[in-house]
Amino acid sequence: MLPFLKIMLRNLILGPSTDPFPFAPAKTHKNFRGCAVFDPEKCILCGICRHVCAAGAIQLRVSEDGSGMQYMLWHNSCVFCGMCAHYCPTGALTMSDNWHLVHTGAEMFSNCISSFIPFGECAQCGAKIQPRTQAIIDKIGERSPERFLLCPKCKRESIVRNVAKVNHLPAEENP
Amino acid sequence: MTSTTYTLPVGPLHVALEEPMYFDIQVEGETVRSVELAAGHVHRGMEALAMQRNYFQNVTLTERVCSLCSNSHPCTYCMAVENLSGILVPQRAQYLRVIADEVKRIASHLFNVGIMAHLTGFDSLFMHAMEIREIMQDAKEGVYGNRMNLGQCIISGCRRDIDDSTGPFLLGQLELLKPQLDELYGVFERDPLIRTRTRGIGLLSFEAAKRHAVVGPVARASGVAYDVRRKAPYAVYPDLDFEVQTDTKGDVHSRALLRLREAVESVKIIKQCLRQMPEGPINIKAIPPIPPGEAVARSEAPRGELFYYLRSDGKDTPQRLKWRVPTYMNWEALQDMLANCQVADIALIVNSIDPCISCTER
Repeated sequence: MLPFLKIMLRNLILGPSTDPFPFAPAKTHKNFRGCAVFDPEKCILCGICRHVCAAGAIQLRVSEDGSGMQYMLWHNSCVFCGMCAHYCPTGALTMSDNWHLVHTGAEMFSNCISSFIPFGECAQCGAKIQPRTQAIIDKIGERSPERFLLCPKCKRESIVRNVAKVNHLPAEENP
Repeated sequence: MTSTTYTLPVGPLHVALEEPMYFDIQVEGETVRSVELAAGHVHRGMEALAMQRNYFQNVTLTERVCSLCSNSHPCTYCMAVENLSGILVPQRAQYLRVIADEVKRIASHLFNVGIMAHLTGFDSLFMHAMEIREIMQDAKEGVYGNRMNLGQCIISGCRRDIDDSTGPFLLGQLELLKPQLDELYGVFERDPLIRTRTRGIGLLSFEAAKRHAVVGPVARASGVAYDVRRKAPYAVYPDLDFEVQTDTKGDVHSRALLRLREAVESVKIIKQCLRQMPEGPINIKAIPPIPPGEAVARSEAPRGELFYYLRSDGKDTPQRLKWRVPTYMNWEALQDMLANCQVADIALIVNSIDPCISCTER
């Protein structure tokens, strides 16, 4: 007991080392991996979050009228690994430092992120494409913003036109 | 004539055992005569689950095999996948993986010696050991975002970099930990209560250790200097300067002290890593498809050698994923350790192998 007496006395003087939660806020680090947060403005419906989710907490389902997709993330199934946020190409999913997940039993299935994400429209033919909100254009469409708004078919045609134009130029300059 | 022996069931749910494990013990008076082990109480079918999930999902799944070595599992799994597909992990990510592994090792070892103090009935020392461990738990939460499941490893590297804010924070926690760890070592080494209760019990001789092929601190305390970090170096361990701790006594006390010395070595390793870590990427963005074939990987988890076997048929889920955990090798040696011990020492001796039943039975 003797070598420990000194430590015990010191611990007595220092007082409790626990946080007095719930009477005072508990210390939370800013890096804490808590509840997932979803920004529907940035989602491109690529589905990588669903692909990497080991818990199967994420669901993407085409809406009945086909105008978009319903995005669901159940917090009670989530294991807070943060893989979805790591692989999300646009930063639509992030992990917040919120760990306050207490809810009543009645809210068991409604305690989720549920968001409707409408499809985008091709700027030329109007075909349905992945969402193209301004936030997404700013994030991943900067290389050629006009072409970014086209469907794959119109995009190919636009590229062909462009190539044809470039290849014709030298021919006109050297008769 | 009446029999002098009787059967004493210990477990599967027992106040002194941390995890469900069942012992059928033949007792003569207060002395243990023979031990039968029964396992399978926390079998969750994780190997079958791994075959139903893709390579990304399995990183999270393997992390949840065991809470105390929750970085060793995904790390070794990722090493197996990288061995199979020929992915070269960036140098900085290798360092980050070593740091995460060693942080977990310190916390795991402190947990085990704390439980040992608890089992001897010295609860204030148990609380103190857990409070010291809390420094490391805080470091994990601040750097990685979770107290147990760090979520640091992914295929091809790491997820979270140690930058200008988390680097000094981690170093500060280590500076805080080091003197307290040394002080705790002194208590465990000299305290008369701990000494009388743990010295000379649960003996495992060098020959018995070899025969049972035990791994980790159990082997090293019996004089078998087997450490995967030295014998088959992986990640950046060849570039790091550390000593493999060994002892020859092979009793419960020497195993606890050895764990504490290893924790001190881990502090040294992390400091070196933080100093030597080169700049650069921490993962590779584009991962190639996983080709058909087989691969193995092994690493030194806090409890000993962890081994992963992976077979792929070219699909996005593994055809077979199997792991052999250190406790599987160590718990058979309990037959030797528990032979002729006192009933009161059973829990102490079982704890001294640092059993992780959820790993072993997954």
